[in-house]
Amino acid sequence: MAKDDSTVRCFQGLLIFGNVIIGMCGIALTAECIFFVSDQNSLYPLLEATNNDDIYGAAWIGMFVGICLFCLSILGIVGIMKSSRKILLVFTPNLFLKQMLERYQNNSPPNNDDQWKNNGVTKTWDRLMLQDNCCGVNGPSDWQKYTSAFRTENNDADYPWPRQCCVMNNLKEPLNLEACKLGVPGYYHSQGCYELISGPMNRHAWGVAWFGFAILCWTFWVLLGTMFFWSRIEY
Amino acid sequence: MPPLWALLALGCLRFGSAVNLQPQLASVTFATNNPTLTTVALEKPLCMFDSSEALTGSYEIHLYVLVDSAGSRNASVQDGTKTPLSSTFQQTEGGRTGPYKAAAFDLSPCSDLPSLDAVGDVSQASQILDAYLVRVGANSTCLWDPNFQGLCNAPLSGATEYRFKYVLVNMSTGLVQDQTLWSDPIRTKWLTPHSVIDTWPGRRSGGMIVITSILGSLPFLLLLGFAGAIVLSLV
Repeated sequence: MAKDDSTVRCFQGLLIFGNVIIGMCGIALTAECIFFVSDQNSLYPLLEATNNDDIYGAAWIGMFVGICLFCLSILGIVGIMKSSRKILLVFTPNLFLKQMLERYQNNSPPNNDDQWKNNGVTKTWDRLMLQDNCCGVNGPSDWQKYTSAFRTENNDADYPWPRQCCVMNNLKEPLNLEACKLGVPGYYHSQGCYELISGPMNRHAWGVAWFGFAILCWTFWVLLGTMFFWSRIEY
Repeated sequence: MPPLWALLALGCLRFGSAVNLQPQLASVTFATNNPTLTTVALEKPLCMFDSSEALTGSYEIHLYVLVDSAGSRNASVQDGTKTPLSSTFQQTEGGRTGPYKAAAFDLSPCSDLPSLDAVGDVSQASQILDAYLVRVGANSTCLWDPNFQGLCNAPLSGATEYRFKYVLVNMSTGLVQDQTLWSDPIRTKWLTPHSVIDTWPGRRSGGMIVITSILGSLPFLLLLGFAGAIVLSLV
């Protein structure tokens, strides 16, 4: 494949265009992952305590992957423009590495910090229930139906559910404690907090996942073309 | 909603004697958390003893609680001289060996009752609650307090059926004037262990399967392409 052929030029142009897209996607992926990691709704302690916060780790990885993608796309553009084999070869092992990193299975690290997680969960729920006027996941009946650490700590007659489930006055005291304990409508929050937790988490996590996936699909074709180009250009 | 007293007056079948009436659970739309693990909220006997004519003199209503068993329908709350029993929670082992007196309160005149609709007004809420219902099992500290004087309305046991009875006592003679029937058995709640809650997220969604299969096959194709490129360049 001679370097000055018009078809080669066209192919080079295509590959450079592909790399430009990869670079821009890398920047966008980094930005989105930073947004997810920054935890705008302060819900991370809840996710952490479920021992299932892989998506959080994936977002961290995505951040660096985005940066890598950007740098590598620059490298790719330079390499293709110079049609140099040496530069392009650096591209491919890094990409394999990136794909492996993005898909690794999270072996849960040995859990020796339950107290930390419990504190995080408690603080988060307290803040959530007071701030969003909700109670429990499905409603205050959660506390009435199931055993819980809360139930072992607090007797049922005085605390059918946490105080934060009561409607509060301006002094952050229940409007009427007896009415709250009895479940009189208007004196306790009857709706659950699940929608408020799942909404932001779902949207952001799926954004990270789908965008990362789209980039990978695109990158696949660019890589294939680059390999073909690499095998064809002369030294 | 018509005034409470009118509803209750219409519900009375016989004039003067309340022998055919039973204590009722507080309205489920008013006190939604009822019965709980350790408490039961009952309607006070409004217009039960004095529906036909107002009572003169001073009277008190005594509430007796009994664990439901074979002979509980006919259990008596007075001794041979028509004096009401003064058994306590501790003496009767929480109502298992006989009825115990859980609460005593004054009789409200039939014509002087607040409407339940006004409970939304915070300033009237306490008064309305106090006039409408009595919460059995509300006092969680009296069993452990050696200095406690008065009637110990201790928390009930979970998953147990209880019967209740109101007794009208004439304070000047100290004798039983009238009494309701024993209520139907009312069962307190029981807690489900939280470990049985199934956290399996369900079957895999279609999107996840698509992503996984595409992402799985792409690197394989990439590997083939890479191997092909190497082979072609060596040839």
